[in-house]
Amino acid sequence: MKVNKLTATIMVAVGLFASCVENDNPVNPIDPDPAASDKYVLITMSERSLEKPGYASAFNELPSGDVVNNASGSLQGLGFGGWRPQNNRLFKMFNTSAAELGIEELKVDAEGTVAPAAFIKTDQNTNGSGNFVIASETQGFYFDGANPLDIQTFDPTTMSRTGEIKLEDAVNERGVDNPEILFRSVGQKFLVVKEGKLYANISYAKTDGSQKGFWDDYFPEVYLAVIDLESLEYERTIKIEDTGSIAYINDNNMYDFDDNGDLYIVTQGISAVGGKSKIVRIKAGEDDIDSSWSLNMDDITEGGKFVSVFAKEGKIITVVPNTVLTGGPSGNINDADVWDFYQFDIESKEKTKIEGVPSVTNPGAAFCAIEIDGKVLLRVTTKDGSTNGYYELEGTTAKPLFNVTAGGSVSGLYKVSQE
Amino acid sequence: MVRKPAFLSFYLLLLCTSLATAQQGTWVTVHIENNSTGEPVGSATVQLGETTRSTASDGSATFESIPAGLHTIKVSAVGFVEYTDSLTKYARENLLLSIPLSARAEQIESVTVTGSSANQKIKQAPIRSVFIDTRAVSNQAVSLTELMNRSTGIRVRQNGGIGSRPEISVNGFQGKAIKYFKDGIPIDYLGDGYNLSALPVEMFDHMEIYKGVLPVSLGADALGGALNFVSANKNINAFQGYYEIGSFSTHRLGVRASRVSKDQRWGYGGELYVNYAKNDYQALVSVTDPQTRNTYPERVNLFNNAYKHLLAEAYLSIKNRTWTDELKFTLTGFGLLKEQQHPALMTTPYGALHSKQHTIAPSVRYKLNLLDEKLRIDHFSSFNVLKSQRIDTLKGSYDWFGNFTPRATVGESRLPSDSRVDERQWVNRTNISYLLSPSSKLEFNHVATHAKRKGEDPLGPTLQGTDIDVLSLASSYNKQVFGLSWEQALFGDKLENQLMGKYYVFSSSGYQNTWFSTDVTENDKRSVSGNYWGITEALKYNLSPSTFIRGSVEYAYRLPERDELFGNSVFVVPNFELTPEKSWNVNLGLSTKSAPKLTAEVNAFYRNTEGLILLVPIQAPNAQYQNQENVRGYGLDLDLVYRLTPNYTVNANATWQDLRLFGISSAIDAWKNDARLRNTPYFFANAGASGKYGNVFAQNDKLNIFANYNFTREFYLETIDKDLEPGGFLGLSGSADLNSSLVIPNQHLLSAGATYNFSGEHLTLGAECKNLLNKDIYDYYRVPRPGRSFHLKLSYKL
Repeated sequence: MKVNKLTATIMVAVGLFASCVENDNPVNPIDPDPAASDKYVLITMSERSLEKPGYASAFNELPSGDVVNNASGSLQGLGFGGWRPQNNRLFKMFNTSAAELGIEELKVDAEGTVAPAAFIKTDQNTNGSGNFVIASETQGFYFDGANPLDIQTFDPTTMSRTGEIKLEDAVNERGVDNPEILFRSVGQKFLVVKEGKLYANISYAKTDGSQKGFWDDYFPEVYLAVIDLESLEYERTIKIEDTGSIAYINDNNMYDFDDNGDLYIVTQGISAVGGKSKIVRIKAGEDDIDSSWSLNMDDITEGGKFVSVFAKEGKIITVVPNTVLTGGPSGNINDADVWDFYQFDIESKEKTKIEGVPSVTNPGAAFCAIEIDGKVLLRVTTKDGSTNGYYELEGTTAKPLFNVTAGGSVSGLYKVSQE
Repeated sequence: MVRKPAFLSFYLLLLCTSLATAQQGTWVTVHIENNSTGEPVGSATVQLGETTRSTASDGSATFESIPAGLHTIKVSAVGFVEYTDSLTKYARENLLLSIPLSARAEQIESVTVTGSSANQKIKQAPIRSVFIDTRAVSNQAVSLTELMNRSTGIRVRQNGGIGSRPEISVNGFQGKAIKYFKDGIPIDYLGDGYNLSALPVEMFDHMEIYKGVLPVSLGADALGGALNFVSANKNINAFQGYYEIGSFSTHRLGVRASRVSKDQRWGYGGELYVNYAKNDYQALVSVTDPQTRNTYPERVNLFNNAYKHLLAEAYLSIKNRTWTDELKFTLTGFGLLKEQQHPALMTTPYGALHSKQHTIAPSVRYKLNLLDEKLRIDHFSSFNVLKSQRIDTLKGSYDWFGNFTPRATVGESRLPSDSRVDERQWVNRTNISYLLSPSSKLEFNHVATHAKRKGEDPLGPTLQGTDIDVLSLASSYNKQVFGLSWEQALFGDKLENQLMGKYYVFSSSGYQNTWFSTDVTENDKRSVSGNYWGITEALKYNLSPSTFIRGSVEYAYRLPERDELFGNSVFVVPNFELTPEKSWNVNLGLSTKSAPKLTAEVNAFYRNTEGLILLVPIQAPNAQYQNQENVRGYGLDLDLVYRLTPNYTVNANATWQDLRLFGISSAIDAWKNDARLRNTPYFFANAGASGKYGNVFAQNDKLNIFANYNFTREFYLETIDKDLEPGGFLGLSGSADLNSSLVIPNQHLLSAGATYNFSGEHLTLGAECKNLLNKDIYDYYRVPRPGRSFHLKLSYKL
C-alpha cells in the first residue's frame, strides 16, 4: 500500500513537471494525418560531397518556426542538391540510391512518406544528362549524353523513354568542320517548352573530356534549336548574342515564366565567375529572343553572373553578387555570403534590394525563389548556417518563414496536392 | 652470434613411445614452450643434427627420417636463451619432446626487437598489437584480408574480389591514418604491388596490427594504427610451394626458398607469387532497359573485373662477419593489371578500362650488433621508380550483359585516359638501439622518404587555355619522421615503461591552380613545409605470470600525403593549404591466461582526432582534400580463446566502438555533433571453432577442420542524427529510424574448411568454402562482394 502511494506520488509529480515544461522542440515532419490532402515536401543537402546526400520530409502544413528535416521516417538518399518539381510532381536529375544521372520521381503518400519511384537512366559520363522538361502528361523531353545530337522523348505518366528527335543536321548548321569544336550536343543545358515549341540549347564545346559543357563554349553566342511540339520537327535555330554559356547543368533550370507568359532565361556568361552574364527573354506569343531587352550583370556589378531567376507580375527576383566572384579553394562563389536578393522591375530594369534578408550563399542547384500557396518564398542560407530556410517576400521586404535546424542546407520546397 | 651455454637441464617428456609400431620409428616432434608461462613459442629455430626446422605457432616442429643414434639438438628463439643438448634416439621409437626455454634476462631487449620472428613477447609488449599468425594458417585457402577480419577491432573492406583495393579500419580510423610496413620498413614505395587482398599468407610469418600507438621502430605519422608484415624466416634452409584454385577462375601460385650456408656466413633465396582471378562472380546490379531506359535489378556475371599480379623477390645476404651481422641485398619487383568493372558506385559497367603498375625496387639492409649486443644498428635504403598507367581509350560502351555499343568519343568513363605516371622514390630508414642496462634501452629511429612525380596523358586534362598536360608538371614530396624512445623494466620486470618522442618534418612543392588557372605561371607554384612534435607513453604491469595490464597515451600527427596535396590530376585537384591531422590516443587493456584452457583479453581505447582530411567537392566537377571533421570516442574489444580439449578450440571476439563527431560550430551542421562517424561499422564480432585429428586416413596424417563466422552490425554511409540510431543495449537492437538506401544492413558471413596433412608432413591439401550461406555482402556503397565460393589449395613444404 505504501508502495502504491509512493508510485502514485511520483507519477503525479512527473506529470506536473512534464506539464510545466515548455515545449520548445522544433517542428518535426511526418505527423501522420492521412486526412491532410496536401503535403509540403522539403529537401535538404546534408553534406557537401560529390554525391550530395540529404533528406526529404513531408509536412501537412507549410512549415514555420524551427524545422527538423531528418526526423524519424525522413527519406535519406543521394542527389539532394536540388530538384525540379513540375505539375504537382517531384523530379530530380540524380537518383536517390546512387546519385546516378537521369530523371527520378519522388512520391509522397497520404501518410507523408517520401520515397523514390521510377527512374530513367542516362549516360553517366556527360554532365547535363537527365536535363528534362515536361510538356504534358504524356510528353516530356530530356538530354542523354550517350546520344548528344538527339533529344530523347519520354512519357511522364509511365516515366519511360519513348524515342528521340534527331537533330544532328540542326547542330551541324555551323562549325561542322571546325577542328577546335570537339563536342556538340543539343539540350544539354537548356530545355523549355513554350507555346507549342520546344527550345533546346546547342553546345559547341572546345573540350570533350570530363568537363565538356562547362565553360568551354566555342561561340560567343548561345544557339537554341526550336522544335515544333506537334510534329517534333526541327524548325530553326535562334541565338542569344554575346554571352558565352547558357544556364547550367543541374536541377536549377535557370529560366522562369512571368504570369503573362514571357520566358526569362539566364545565361551565365563567359566563365565560371561570370562576365557577360545576362537574363534575356522570349516574349509571350513570340518564338525568338527579344533583342530589345536584356538584363546585363555587367551593368549591375563588375565581375558577376546570374545564377537563378524568378519572374512574377513584371518583376524578377534574383541574387546578385556584392563583390567580385572568385573561384578556387578559398573562393567566394559558392560558400561565402556574397549574394544579395534583388527585385528588378522588368520594364525599367530598376533594381531594389530586398530588405530584411541577409546576404546568402550561392543557391547552386536550388531555386533562389519559389511560389507556394500564393506566397513568394526566398531560399536563405548563410555560410555560418545561422539562417537556413525560407523567407516570405512581401513587396520588397522579406521575413523569416521557417528555419531548418537539422538535416542540412535547404535545397527545395514544393507543395504536392494529393489526388 | 654469441653462443650461450645451455643452463637448463634437459627436460624430456616421453609422451608417446607407445606410438612405436612394427614399422621402424622415424620421426621426432619437439614442442617448445616458455618456461615461465607455459605458452608455446612459435618461430623458434630447432636444429636436430643437420636438419633445421622452424616451430609453428603452437610451438611444434617435426623431423622425419631421423636415424637411431646420438643427435645434437639446438633451439633458438628471439628473446630466449639458446638451448643446446643431445639426445639418443633408438630404433622403432618416435619421440615427442617438450623443451622449455627461458626468457633472456634483458627482457626489454627481447620485447622490442623489430623484424623478428613471431613470439609471444610481441603480444605482451606494452604497446598493444594484434598478432595474426599467418604461418599457422598457410595451408588454408585463406587470404590476408579474411584473417584480419577475424581479429578484434579490425575491419578490412574491399570494393570487390581479389585485387580490389582494400581499406583497413582500425578502431574506426581508416584510409591514410593507417600505415603499412614490411619488417619495419614503410612500403608506400611499392604502390599497389603490396595489395592486401593479393598478398599470399605464405609470404609472411605473421602480421602485427598496432592500434593507435606505434612502437618507435615503426617510424610513421600514423594516427589510427599500423600494419607490419613480418617476413617468413629466411635464416633456415627451407622450400615452400603452393597452388590454389578457386571459384571465379581464381588461381594462385607461389614458391619460396631460402638457403643458409653451413657456416652461416651466406644466405640467399627468392620467392615468386602469381595471382590471377577473373572475379566474374554474380552481382546484383541495376540494369537499364535499352528502350525505356528504366532500371531494374538483375543478377549478372561481372566481366571486366580480372586481376593479374606477379610479385617476385630475390636476396643475397652476407652474415655473421665482424663488420656486419647481416648485409642483405634485395631485389623486389612486381607487375599488375587490374581491370575495372565499374566506378566507385556500381552505376556504369566498363568493358575495357584497366590500369597497370610495375616497379623494380633494389634495396639494401645492414644490421650490426656491437658492444656485446648492447648496440644495434639497422639501416634500410631503397630507390625505385613506380610506373603507373590508366587506360581508358575505348570508343564505345558496354552494358551489364557485356553487349558493346560503338561510339565516336573516346573513353568508357568520364575520364578518358592513356596516362603514364612515374614516381621516383627514395626511402631510408635507420634504427639504432642501445641497451643502457639489462633493464633499460634507448632507441632511435629515422625514416626519410622523397618522391617526385611526373607523367603524361595525351587524353588527360590540360591547363585551361593551354596545351600543357597537367601531369607533366612535376611535384615533389619529402617527409621525415624522427623517433626516440626510452624503455625500462622496473620492480623485477613487473613494470615495463616506454616513453617516446616523435618529430615530423615535411615539405612539398607543386602547382596549386592547375584546374583553374588560365595560364599557370611560377606564381602558381606552391612550396609548403611543416614540423611537428608527438609524444607517447606506454606502460605494462604484470599482475601475475599469466595476467598483465597495459596502457598507453599518445599525441600524434598524420601529415598530408602526396596525393592529398597534389591531387590526381583529374578530378581531385591540389590543395597545398592542408594541415596535418592530430590526435590523442589512449589505450588500456587486460590480458589473462589464469585458467589453463582460457585466454582472455579485453582492451579499451579513446581517440580524439582533429582536422580529419576528407575529399570534398569544390567548384564542380572538381573535388579537393580538405581538413574537415573532428572525431572522438571510445571503444571496447573482447577476445576469448577456449581450448575445449587438446583437439578442439573455440574462439570469439567482439568490437564495439562509439566514434562521434564533435566541435562542429556551423549552425547548419550542428546537428551532426555527437553523430557517429559515417561509413564506419560500430559493432562487429567473430566466432570460430576448430578441431584437429590424427591418423585419420593413414598413419601420422593430420586433419584440421575449421569454421568461422563474422557478423557486422548495420552502419551508415552518410551521417545520421543520433536520435535516429537504433536503440537497445549498445545500439544493437532494431534498425535506424529512417527511410534510407544508405544504410548497410546487418551482414553475416560464414566460411568453413579443412586442411589435410599427408603422412610425412610435406604435403597438405586445404579446402574451404567461403560465404557458405551465399549471403549478399557489401563493404562500400552496396558494391557486392563475391557470393559462395570454393577453394582448393595444395601446399608443399620441405
